[in-house]
Amino acid sequence: MRTTIPGQPALAYLLGGSLLFLVTGIIVTTGLPGWLAPPPSPGARQYTPEEALGRRVYIREGCGYCHTQQVRAPEAEHGYTMRPGDIGPESQPGDYAYQAPVLWGTERQGPDLTFTARRHPDREWHLAHLRDPQAIAFGSIMPAFAHLPDAALEALATYLLTLQ
Amino acid sequence: MRSPVEGAPQAQSTTPASAPSAGGRPLAPDQAARWFIYSAVLWFLVAGLVGLLLAAFLYTPNVQSFIPEPWRGPLNFGRLRPMHVNVLLFGWLSMLYAAAFLYLTPRLTGTTLFSEALARWTCILWNALITGVVVSLPLGFTQGREYAELVWPLDLLQTALFLMLALNVWGTVLRRREPRLYVSVWNFMAASLIIALVYAFGNKIWDVSGAYVGMNDAIVNYFYVHNLFNVWFTTGGLGIALYLIPRLSGNPLFSHRLAIWGFASVWAGQHHLLYAPGPDWLEFVSIAFSILAAIPNTAFGVNFVMTMRGAWHRVTHDVPLAWVATGASMYLLTCAQGVAQSFRDFSLLVHFTNWVIGHSHLVFVGAYSAYGFALVYHLLGRIDGARFDPRLQWWHYGLTMGGLWVFLLTLWSAGLIQGQNWATGAIPFLATVRSLQPYHLVRLLAGLIMAVGQLLFAYQVWRAFRGRASAETA
Repeated sequence: MRTTIPGQPALAYLLGGSLLFLVTGIIVTTGLPGWLAPPPSPGARQYTPEEALGRRVYIREGCGYCHTQQVRAPEAEHGYTMRPGDIGPESQPGDYAYQAPVLWGTERQGPDLTFTARRHPDREWHLAHLRDPQAIAFGSIMPAFAHLPDAALEALATYLLTLQ
Repeated sequence: MRSPVEGAPQAQSTTPASAPSAGGRPLAPDQAARWFIYSAVLWFLVAGLVGLLLAAFLYTPNVQSFIPEPWRGPLNFGRLRPMHVNVLLFGWLSMLYAAAFLYLTPRLTGTTLFSEALARWTCILWNALITGVVVSLPLGFTQGREYAELVWPLDLLQTALFLMLALNVWGTVLRRREPRLYVSVWNFMAASLIIALVYAFGNKIWDVSGAYVGMNDAIVNYFYVHNLFNVWFTTGGLGIALYLIPRLSGNPLFSHRLAIWGFASVWAGQHHLLYAPGPDWLEFVSIAFSILAAIPNTAFGVNFVMTMRGAWHRVTHDVPLAWVATGASMYLLTCAQGVAQSFRDFSLLVHFTNWVIGHSHLVFVGAYSAYGFALVYHLLGRIDGARFDPRLQWWHYGLTMGGLWVFLLTLWSAGLIQGQNWATGAIPFLATVRSLQPYHLVRLLAGLIMAVGQLLFAYQVWRAFRGRASAETA
């Protein structure tokens, strides 16, 4: 195996340099934020087994493809879900300290759920809404989850009530 | 400015001699590449149809009433969306990339493939992987991290497959007879090896859960997502484009040096998470690098336009060339849009909206799938001697691009409406959802137009497959 490329030493340096660049990049952009991560927020939640189960249902059913769980600074206390400003306060890094994976989401076909339990503290509301969204929210495009076993829906509702 | 290596795609050797297998019995060359192409087209159809169902779900969730009760779990939006994304990315596009790497690397280095047997196993196991994806995601087996949903065994398999592909690419390069490496070969070497590292790290393959804890999970997730696009799809796609543009236009590459500059890379993915609950400094580093990415993108743009000089008229009667030129143009548009989206103000407006879905279809359908269509036509012509009917090819082109542009303009419009409505703080969320229904309908119709085009495409590939099969039995 040749260690240099005749006529093209610059390319070998470029490749080596690029790899060095990549490794540096990985350390700076993924390692450093981890080491500098802030402590858990006072409100950061450690889930009970039932809540954790509901969170697994949330992940399994792909709720996070249409619902985010992060409130950006410029929209905090300003975004309008059911009432003006009810999107809630700005999310902080420490809020997620005990979550793996985090469920920040990238798309809002449905509203942000970071504080959904403040808007809907009623368990029965969540269960009815999960079973038949259109009956509760006219014009909603959320699919129904009535096909899920009751235990899964109950756990999911328990988890949703932690989002406050 | 033209050195001999710049003409490399023209100077390619003919079909290499049979490669010896492990047992010394010669295996016919290029069969793995051929299998990869036919498999990719099959997965493309599966995932495309799923996309159509997703579009129907967004128009009206009543589509559920047409699904039998026991199937409503697996065939729900939230389970099918990751299936659509993963199969198109890892089935359709990645398997085509594997075909291109396996076919082109020996040609560009003047030797035979390192191991045809290894390549065939790679293809067989890759199909097993995608089968696993198609089954596991609708059944609810997911790690819940976007673009990193695959469960642990599939993560291990995908990492191994990237390494197997890299072994074949690097092994071929190390025994090359052509001393100078054409730029595409550099791209193939980098893409196949680095993606294995990025995939392993981003999917945390040493942990069954696959997730990091807290804020850092999102940071690593989007570091991985960004580099899945950048290291694998962009770097690999540029390698393919920089081969196909000179090859199909008949012109030598304008500047090999400029192409090498296009090798530069952006690593930070935080510009996908602007204003997110992460560190501000990381957002600014990421934004700076997104702006710097304009340099390699411009380098590619100049190379593309200058290489095509004097050959533009040929796009009207050479469909593969038309696809490559379309792909390169859409790629440049993606880059421009990407830089705009990496600014905080604009991101605040369009992030979380349908705009981003438009952006991802611009690049994955408009750019990389366009390269893919050119590759399928070109490689099946070379390997299987397939002849395609230009009328069908043009119908496929017209339906795909016509449908795609309707789709994109609809999603971008819908995204701007969403962003502006939300920013007012005076419009209930559900009112905006209701106002988007006509857009979801147009999006569904555009998807139907594209789907008809893809059926024509699949029909042509099927005929090429049948033609080869009957020639073998004759």
